[in-house]
Amino acid sequence: MNPGFVLRAHARGFNRFLSTGDSSSYIGGHPDATLTRHSSFNFGPYQSGLRGFGRLRVFGDETFSGAGCGYNIHPHHNFIICAFVLKGQLTHVNTVGNIDQLGAGDYYAFSAGSGGKHCELNLRHEDANILYVWMLPDQLLLPPSYGRSHFDAVADRNRLVALVGNADGAVRISQDVKISRLSADRALELDYQPRAAEHGIYVFVVDGQAQVNDAALGARDSAGIWGAATLRIRTDAEGCDLLILETVP
Amino acid sequence: MDEAFKRWLCLGCGFLYDEALGAPEHGLAPGTRWADIPEDWRCPDCGTPKHLFEMVEIPYAVGQPAARPAREGSL
Repeated sequence: MNPGFVLRAHARGFNRFLSTGDSSSYIGGHPDATLTRHSSFNFGPYQSGLRGFGRLRVFGDETFSGAGCGYNIHPHHNFIICAFVLKGQLTHVNTVGNIDQLGAGDYYAFSAGSGGKHCELNLRHEDANILYVWMLPDQLLLPPSYGRSHFDAVADRNRLVALVGNADGAVRISQDVKISRLSADRALELDYQPRAAEHGIYVFVVDGQAQVNDAALGARDSAGIWGAATLRIRTDAEGCDLLILETVP
Repeated sequence: MDEAFKRWLCLGCGFLYDEALGAPEHGLAPGTRWADIPEDWRCPDCGTPKHLFEMVEIPYAVGQPAARPAREGSL
């Protein structure tokens, strides 16, 4: 278990992958597509940071630049992979049988279970910015599954909305992790209460700034907190967009 | 050896190595301990190096691990 931490945006891991050269078979797009990844936790070539948080193992803030940029079809097992599209469009093909186009606010949860492959591409010329969250499942080799939904930043503004997990309207997954989003366009104060004292909370600020308990977080800053009875979140008049991920240890 | 068999998960893609089952299709016999796999071994699915696997204590889903298909030369 990690102790609590604050991770500033610039302190995250950073990797850039090109669609040419060594990574050309893995990274889609031609010519000169560029994929950048800011990692909150160790992943791939970035291995000098945090190992994860509770059941979370990957938190990637990724930008696919150049038409066709993304990940060519590749295999997975076991991990539950969620993608939240912040900007642009993501085309997602997976072996559960879906071909999806996801725009800003859309998200999916793909549980690779006993084995699946998927391909994720930005087919447009505008950049796509996507947050990726990988978590361990609560059982190994589950039947693969896939669910998608949409967060409406206007209709759902100024309240906490559960996107993934065991909650009304959320995409169900086979793990005790809940992902919620708050998009505020005014100053507000909100208390988030973890379901159990031993749960951890990882808060990631997408845009704007927020005060989370004692920590002042700016855009793309994040914090991990264990053992808090309540998380007090305060946003200012300029608004804020943030994700809250609650995980069992 | 009395120690229980352990399960290791690739942090690059989720590939599972279960010591009890080995990975016969990749040349690792059932019962091969993680410690006995060479340090330069890599995930057969994604190439992630051995040291970036994590030991997990997660139960199998119902019906797993599925029986492996019989191969030529086996029963």
